[in-house]
Amino acid sequence: MPPLLFGIASIVFVVSRLTPADPLVSIVGERNLNNPEIVAAAKARWGLDSSVFVQYGKYMRNLLHGDMGTSFTTRRPVVHDLWDRLPATLELTFAALLIGTVAGIGLGVLAARHRNRLIDHVARFFALLGSSLPAFWSGLLILYVLYARLGWLPGPGRLDPRAAVPERITGFYTVDSLLHGDFSTLRAALMHLVAPASVLGWGVVGIVSRLVRASLLDEFSMEYVRVARAMGLRERTVVNTHALRNALLPTITIVAFTFAFLLTGAVLTETVFSWNGLGSYAVEASRRLDYPAIIGVTILGAVAFLVTNLISDIAYAIADPRIRLS
Amino acid sequence: MVRVKGEPIRFAMGRRLAAVSVSGALVLAACGSSGTSGGGGAAGGASDKALVIARGMDVNSLDPSRAYCDTCQIFMTAVYETLIGLDSDNTTLVPRLATKWESNAAQTEFTFTLDPKAKFADGTAVTSADVKWSWERLKGLQGASSYLVGSIATIDTPDVGTVKVTLSAANSAFLAQVNASYLGIVNSKAATAQGATADPATDKAETWFLSNSAGSGPFALAAYTSGSELRLKRNDAYWGTKANFPEVLIKETPQAVTQRQQLEQGAVDIAMQISNDVAAGMSGADVKVTQVPSFNYVYLAISPGAKGGEKLTPKVREAIRMALDYDGLVKATVGGAGQSQPSPIPNGFAGTDGLAKPKQDVAAAKKLLADEGVTSLTLDATFPSLNVYGVDFSTAMQKVQTDLKAVGIELQLNPVEISVWADKIGKDGIPVTMLYFAPDHTDSSQYVQYFGLLPASQWQTWSKAAAVPAETDLLNKAFAAQDAKSRGDLYNQLAKAMIADQIIIPVVNPNLFLAARSDVKGMHYSACCNLDLAKLGRG
Repeated sequence: MPPLLFGIASIVFVVSRLTPADPLVSIVGERNLNNPEIVAAAKARWGLDSSVFVQYGKYMRNLLHGDMGTSFTTRRPVVHDLWDRLPATLELTFAALLIGTVAGIGLGVLAARHRNRLIDHVARFFALLGSSLPAFWSGLLILYVLYARLGWLPGPGRLDPRAAVPERITGFYTVDSLLHGDFSTLRAALMHLVAPASVLGWGVVGIVSRLVRASLLDEFSMEYVRVARAMGLRERTVVNTHALRNALLPTITIVAFTFAFLLTGAVLTETVFSWNGLGSYAVEASRRLDYPAIIGVTILGAVAFLVTNLISDIAYAIADPRIRLS
Repeated sequence: MVRVKGEPIRFAMGRRLAAVSVSGALVLAACGSSGTSGGGGAAGGASDKALVIARGMDVNSLDPSRAYCDTCQIFMTAVYETLIGLDSDNTTLVPRLATKWESNAAQTEFTFTLDPKAKFADGTAVTSADVKWSWERLKGLQGASSYLVGSIATIDTPDVGTVKVTLSAANSAFLAQVNASYLGIVNSKAATAQGATADPATDKAETWFLSNSAGSGPFALAAYTSGSELRLKRNDAYWGTKANFPEVLIKETPQAVTQRQQLEQGAVDIAMQISNDVAAGMSGADVKVTQVPSFNYVYLAISPGAKGGEKLTPKVREAIRMALDYDGLVKATVGGAGQSQPSPIPNGFAGTDGLAKPKQDVAAAKKLLADEGVTSLTLDATFPSLNVYGVDFSTAMQKVQTDLKAVGIELQLNPVEISVWADKIGKDGIPVTMLYFAPDHTDSSQYVQYFGLLPASQWQTWSKAAAVPAETDLLNKAFAAQDAKSRGDLYNQLAKAMIADQIIIPVVNPNLFLAARSDVKGMHYSACCNLDLAKLGRG
């Protein structure tokens, strides 16, 4: 893993420096770009006055010591920023994945069992909507209808603006409020998760349900399913106990990669719902050409992909004995 | 020239600013305020409940010597007091930490007498040493707002209550600059103990300032979470009139639509960045929306020296100015909730009285182009992809493109991130582009220094147009002028000179929408400080 991360960090460093853009505008403001003293001071402070090679060497040396530099935007060490924002995104991602996977599997099974019937068409249309609707649109729509008009769900943010944030243990508001025994905050945190997690999870529903449907239909044509049915087993048993277990194998890989993707890709959802996570951090870093933050988020994303890949391999082995044996 | 407490000076700003001030007063009236002025008087009633403000924050730092953003203006005004304040009429300078101030006839020496009652939040007295330390650090660290103290040569402190500033050249705008929120005074002992110095190589206090403050204002920093919230607590040991709210939360809410929803639901008390289209249809007894003229504006910039801009002669630039449909631009960008603006000095600032509003004249524009032998012209129009003050730059540029097409000029629109734009304009220049401006203080000089064709000014450099020595002479005269009328006349000449340059063409001066719960009192747009939290109350 270390050589891979080293390579990723190097590529991102070079690409960000090759971009024809000037990060100074976000540091000194466009009004001071012609002020030689202010520009010189900013370059010296952020190490932009030395050659790219020197900057690269310094960055890599610091990275080896766990120092990802200081963000131009937040003026804090990038490691601290990531540490602060990661729990928000993880909490949202876990919730979205839970909703997306459970609903996706359910919908996929339903669609496969009722192939080419009305339920199948409805399920596929719903999945298609989830995959194709942009999160900013569905997010704003949900906020407008369920928050602004009906008042059934709370507004954006992880808690109400006036609510006290639970003292940090893990950074997950749900977990921390539970550990503190603060059930009203726990309820509020869960309610605040519903809308953004549903919006984010809807896309997962689309992917998972179509995959489960297709896999199940493949399994239905297998001999062992015909044998099970011929033995008079109930359809529910045939599907849930035999076919679904095999059909879920490819889903494990997809869910794992979706998790890694959501971790750094929930930009629109986080923006619409004022969710202070990694996605909004990444997009702000990109807009401002905040080199240290961009590289930091990229490395974290790479780690997430590697770790989820490893977890999916392990899960695959648990789910399919043939892989263990081979 | 001696000013004493209770004898506020009228700063040189035009009649239109007075009109803006009247509008501001209307906002106060609409909010039922009895807004007081001067040393931190509070309007409305005390409240046990925190005030919550929704806005897209743009905080770059909370270190008073490095902060430079719209939210920073609000924060600085609440936490770090300046020597001089700005009255709610947006015109009159009033005492704050200084009870009186005076300058010599040459406008090169300014003496301030501090209020002996003034204390920092930790109880220590505000002294002349703190003023000297704060301004020297601001200058030494060379942060984005350091240009405001660039003209200071020396600061003397003859006693603990007196500050004498000597400038390197005459600067009649200095008092207005002292009024800028970025010149707030810091508790030097408290900051020094945290590693604050005036040397960028040794200063280590910026991180400390992200979670602590050392000011004398009506509020102190309670907590800041980047991208989430800025939390201020009332300074209960404040030496002046205490603020009404025990706590103020500024919540990161980038979407105008979300700001509106939260305001209507009562989750927040104030929504600060409501655009005209989002404000449309806001109603109900619980919410009040008012619009007031602002000093912010969006402009088109023409660079004859840019690569590809060789044909942008003065006549061609004038043709471009005449080809634009100004009323249409205001309508297209902000639905009519704004004004056109004749010169780079915005409506209401000194020197803008009597300037004729720009008008479209397509026939005259075509004639100018024909006289210049230009039958068709294609220009690169790279611009930053921004939405500022409710103005979407893409919409504005599309309207400009349509207007110019009618006279045979083709704009190739190229929206990019501002960092890409900055790189391009700094290297090759951009023939036609768009940007925005908001004032840092109340003097017209900032516009001349930025937009005028002074040697090495920002737009002289970017446009690569030849410097105009007459503008430098006029500005020097304005800096040395001793009375408001002479300064106004000189800035009027400068405004006309900048119109004649045809480099900067303001396209829209949008109104500001102030949206708040109906029980929030004291809402007022300040030219120096954005929103003064100490003047807000509930009731």
